[in-house]
Amino acid sequence: RILSKERRSRQKRMNSHESWSLSPEEFEIWDRLYRIKQSDGIKEPVLPQVQFETLESLEETAKPQEGEVRELSLSEWSIWQNHPLPTSLVDHSDRCHLFISAMEMMELMRYQKGECSYEQELQPHLRMEDVNIPGNKRNLSMAKPP
Amino acid sequence: LPRSPQRLKAAVHYTVGCLCREVEEDKDVQFSKQSIAAIAEITFRQCGTAGLPGECFLVLCRHAKRTTVTTEDVKLLARRSNSLLKYITQKSEELASSNTEKKKKK
Repeated sequence: RILSKERRSRQKRMNSHESWSLSPEEFEIWDRLYRIKQSDGIKEPVLPQVQFETLESLEETAKPQEGEVRELSLSEWSIWQNHPLPTSLVDHSDRCHLFISAMEMMELMRYQKGECSYEQELQPHLRMEDVNIPGNKRNLSMAKPP
Repeated sequence: LPRSPQRLKAAVHYTVGCLCREVEEDKDVQFSKQSIAAIAEITFRQCGTAGLPGECFLVLCRHAKRTTVTTEDVKLLARRSNSLLKYITQKSEELASSNTEKKKKK
């Protein structure tokens, strides 16, 4: 019986904000605890926009930002990214593991100068019939071993 | 003919090298051999050994109760960017119209 009472009171609370927006109480909490205000002295976090260097851009151009913003960086901590970071409930995806292994590969090649071990390893396996596509001819010379 | 991963990787690496040379000419920049190798490896893995688009295609196909991958599945891979989606859609239309022309000629 106690349980059902509790459930009923929870339902009552639920009813007060059936709409998508915050109830006045929730708004008060958000405003007090989480909302970033000018007096906080921190910048509004924003995500970088999608952009294609090689295509005509159709994405919405970033709105002029009021005040200062901090664009969240996906590359600032790259040296931390050559091993899987801890997970909570969601496992790393294949795509994520691909990223990690690419970061690891780049870390290993970072100090190579000139000759590239990846290239040297693959060169003997190259068959020109796999790559000999029209329009590619002017670049043929580069595949020939020196 | 089954092809070894090494042979496929070599072909991707070569082609990536050619594309990077074109970008070098266009943009007046230089790629180190190591950066070309990294792009090649990422491209190779993106293409399916890590089960990326390959697996995506299977999921998309099954989702639409098909067993053959169509251009619609390819377009869905580009859905996150309007620019990319427009580009891929244009290419797919060009391809479709040139295919029908070829059929007419026969």
